[in-house]
Amino acid sequence: MTLDDLTKSSGEWLRGNGPESDIVMCSRIRLARNLADFPFTNRASRSEKTEIEAHFKGAMAHAKLELSYLDVNALGNLDRLFLVERQIISRELANSDGPRGVAISSLENVAIMVNEEDHLRVQFMLSGFRLGEVWDAVNQLDDRLEEQLAYAFSPQLGYLTACPTNVGTGIRVGVMLHLPGLVQTKQIDKVFRALQKINLAVRGLYGEGSQASGDFYQISNQQTLGKSEPELIKILTDVVPQVLQYERAARQTLLTERRQHLHDQVSRAYGVLKTAQTISSEETMLLLSSVRMGINLGLIDDLSIATVNELFIQTQPAFLQKLRGSELGVEERNVARASYLRSRLSNGRQAPRH
Amino acid sequence: MRCQRCQKEASVHLTEQIQGQRRELHLCQACARKAGLSLPESPPNLALDAVVQSLIVAHVGELVGELAESTCPDCGIKFMEFRAAARLGCPQDYRVFSAGLLPLLQRYHGATRHVGKVARRHEGAGQQLRLRTQLRAAIAREDYEEAARLRDRLRLKDSQA
Repeated sequence: MTLDDLTKSSGEWLRGNGPESDIVMCSRIRLARNLADFPFTNRASRSEKTEIEAHFKGAMAHAKLELSYLDVNALGNLDRLFLVERQIISRELANSDGPRGVAISSLENVAIMVNEEDHLRVQFMLSGFRLGEVWDAVNQLDDRLEEQLAYAFSPQLGYLTACPTNVGTGIRVGVMLHLPGLVQTKQIDKVFRALQKINLAVRGLYGEGSQASGDFYQISNQQTLGKSEPELIKILTDVVPQVLQYERAARQTLLTERRQHLHDQVSRAYGVLKTAQTISSEETMLLLSSVRMGINLGLIDDLSIATVNELFIQTQPAFLQKLRGSELGVEERNVARASYLRSRLSNGRQAPRH
Repeated sequence: MRCQRCQKEASVHLTEQIQGQRRELHLCQACARKAGLSLPESPPNLALDAVVQSLIVAHVGELVGELAESTCPDCGIKFMEFRAAARLGCPQDYRVFSAGLLPLLQRYHGATRHVGKVARRHEGAGQQLRLRTQLRAAIAREDYEEAARLRDRLRLKDSQA
């Protein structure tokens, strides 16, 4: 698989399948793992990082994992950003240096980062609210790698990680939620505060500290030590349905109390996206969010959720530039973005064939 | 479209109806914030490193005297370096710096004992760490004879693994 192949497809997690997919974009779990015989990435020399990479590739081959390995060190800036936009690698991996990479599956459910903050970050994701399935898949993947690799582990502290905030299970359980109703009814801060009280983290679409965009929020655990993986997953599977209930109630409020206003907002958003000649990334995210909610509330009926989900990713700067095959300035990107949106939205229902 | 107040790219677009009068407003983020028009809320910045660092300072403060001198024999990191960067150097640091780390773990996770999945092949692993540190040091002081010897020992261990 090459990067150019990726521009022609989209990840499974954008398909809008699975339970609660009107609000839950995707469920994901990552495990932080380190090889026992090497210093953590930040202390490893270049040649040690090369060895770590070689050990991982060897394990991948022995375990017969059907993954493609992308050498991030050999990629240009644009390609790295492209992988960040697709949620395949972190900004940290994109911006660090030395030997490093990511192994991905063809549907982009699996992404194993090598030489990030930890030697391995094993991630699995699925569209919709399916943390149980995601855990089974990532656990199995981890088992197969573990047959080949000696991980750093202590009976008292569990899996040992570069940052003590990940030690123990090394697990981060997360869901990405679309919460335009709670944003518009100004209840989102209340929800954030409640989540933080029970020790859950809230992040934007592109991870730690990033500005939330398109009303997408990722909720994940912070504690990794002292509770088992299923116990930590259960915290999320207990709490997320409550957030979904609040979001649905907020949407109903908007629909009953401000129906005309809401319908107007959604229709205008759709209209602008279908006809604009130049449009910024920020405005696109804002409008796509309205359109996405509009589809879920039955206010738009000629557009699929999968298309809108894809457009959140495919209107980002690197994707547009990959599509054009050249680097574009801000103004040129805004024109390219508008043109891409028009082409994708002109024939409504159908997503382009992949 | 330009911001009506400062001519930067506008990203907030509002249409108001006041007593039948329609008014459009186009502002950039900064001017919108000044005008009290808040944008969709973003989650509070977590600044995880800062959190960890404040925990380190708050909970291992009194231990710094004895810990300040301690260095991991396996990877060479000093406790003070961990304190500054909030990243450990190698898996052995959890043992070497346990006096400083355990209060931190208790505070952050509310626990100091792992419950959950157990690694399969961890026993006896980690013995190459010190050789690697010695190798790095030998290369740094350009002692290539020693470096070659250490590399051979590592290769031998690798093939036995």
